[in-house]
Amino acid sequence: MSAVWTLDEWFVVALARTIRDREVVFHGFASPCAQVAMHVAKRTHAPESLLVEGATYAIDPAPVFVPPTSNDLALHRDAVYRMRFEEFFDAACRGAVDRMFLSGGQIDGHGNTNVTAIGGMPQPKIKLGGGGGGCNISATIGALTVWTTRHRSGRTLVPRVDFLTDIGHRTPEGDRVQLGYPGGGPEWLVTELGVFDYAGGHARLRALFPDVTLDDVAAATRFDLRVELDPGLLAPPSAAELAAVRALDPLRVRHQEFGPDELKREFSAADLPA
Amino acid sequence: MTSFHLGPDKRATLDEAAALVQDGGTVALGGGLCARLPMALVRALVRAGRRDLHLVGSAHSIDVDLLIGAGAVKVCEESYVGFEQDLGLAPAFRRAAESQAIEVRESCCVTVLAQLRAAEMGVPFLPVRGVKGTDVEALHPEYGRVTCPFTGDELVVVPPLVPDVALVHAPVGDAAGNLHLDQPYVLDERFAHASRMVVATVDRLVDTAEVAAAGVTIPAHTVAAVVEAPFGAHPSSCYPGYAYDRRHLAAYVAAAGGDGLAAYLERYVHPGEDAYRAEIDTARITSWSESDEAWQELFR
Repeated sequence: MSAVWTLDEWFVVALARTIRDREVVFHGFASPCAQVAMHVAKRTHAPESLLVEGATYAIDPAPVFVPPTSNDLALHRDAVYRMRFEEFFDAACRGAVDRMFLSGGQIDGHGNTNVTAIGGMPQPKIKLGGGGGGCNISATIGALTVWTTRHRSGRTLVPRVDFLTDIGHRTPEGDRVQLGYPGGGPEWLVTELGVFDYAGGHARLRALFPDVTLDDVAAATRFDLRVELDPGLLAPPSAAELAAVRALDPLRVRHQEFGPDELKREFSAADLPA
Repeated sequence: MTSFHLGPDKRATLDEAAALVQDGGTVALGGGLCARLPMALVRALVRAGRRDLHLVGSAHSIDVDLLIGAGAVKVCEESYVGFEQDLGLAPAFRRAAESQAIEVRESCCVTVLAQLRAAEMGVPFLPVRGVKGTDVEALHPEYGRVTCPFTGDELVVVPPLVPDVALVHAPVGDAAGNLHLDQPYVLDERFAHASRMVVATVDRLVDTAEVAAAGVTIPAHTVAAVVEAPFGAHPSSCYPGYAYDRRHLAAYVAAAGGDGLAAYLERYVHPGEDAYRAEIDTARITSWSESDEAWQELFR
């Protein structure tokens, strides 16, 4: 284990660990942490996972480096094969993709996300970028790893999203069975404060980063907070995992997702409870 | 109905190409995010003073934002408009959406794909798997629902999408309009077959044998006009020629986010493409191929 590591590194490792070996995994654009995490998993515990690289649709590329824009040759120069756009989305819609990473400006307790507009449409208070392919493929992909680096703001984990862009476990029109959706929906929610699962279709806090208290999470979470802690879930990163994060992301593109105070968080083995 | 575009020589000037886009037209933008965007045509449309355009496509950035900032857009039906985590929200798009100066009919990559395929196939609708249960459906009164006669599933169905014009930038093409693209093609192939016409720019106009050897991605019979426009995708990338111009994009986002958009248009758009190329640092963005270190340096 490396002597010292930072929150952003641990966060990426926590995302990577949601990938099982031999899964087919995809990340969307504007997702540097998820993007790095996929490659970390491939180089550590999930060597036979099949990665579809974001907006290039390249299969298992070894990036020259991770650039800050998702449709760039640096991500896929040496790839053997690139899917066509339609080839990837068809695979995702028919259920051939096992996992997707998904974030949102707002996330509710069922794992529905809003990447369209704070304040809703047609009168947005803040118009966000938009959902890409999410409002279809969140219905059909096997499992979703949801993440946010803005939990502490108190504005992200909300009781109800202002606009429902991507589908969690239950929408106002019904649950996944009622909607006829084959995908399994959100499985994990990783935030800069801790990790949730979705037992019974609702977020449930399972682990905290060691510099975070339950009170911190309670203060920042506006949906019904359910807790069943299993501290083993957030084991410190291994030397191999940290080396992979650092080698893949020399430009530290992952930092773009975090506020300045979160980037100051450091951990060492000596600080951890025995 | 679309029809094929015949003839051996469709070379045109940028002004002639821009004239193929009408006020109020439905325009598909090729490329994606900040790669291979048809920026020389976008700038030509701004110079021509186009109004009330209906933009359709997947995930885009400065192409859409510049057209909105210049007042050329009435409806935006893209799946994403922004500069990712790197430069953030798209300033002109955001402002126009929040003040309701444009109508945002946000769509989804999969839905746009289904609509283009319906147009290509000549069928009145196609189903999509998702959308149901989301708030995206309510932005689209043109969508419907049907009950599948075989399974009984209720599915959202979407009508054909036939863009009046698809604007595409390619690294190379010939005088007839055969275009070679490097992957990812994003939606450009589908746009070419679903639209009434492709209007293309190419970094280099070459002979047919060279395009054929590289591989024809978009065939000449879908293309109505082709214009040689070196660095025509700038400030987005068009590999193998040039990389993402991060400095220029950051300057654009700062200008459009403040009160600098008019000055940006005055400096970069109104004087025309020859003047534009003289303003940009072409040596820097073509240096990506010198070494991996030089490439990485462009993103710092």
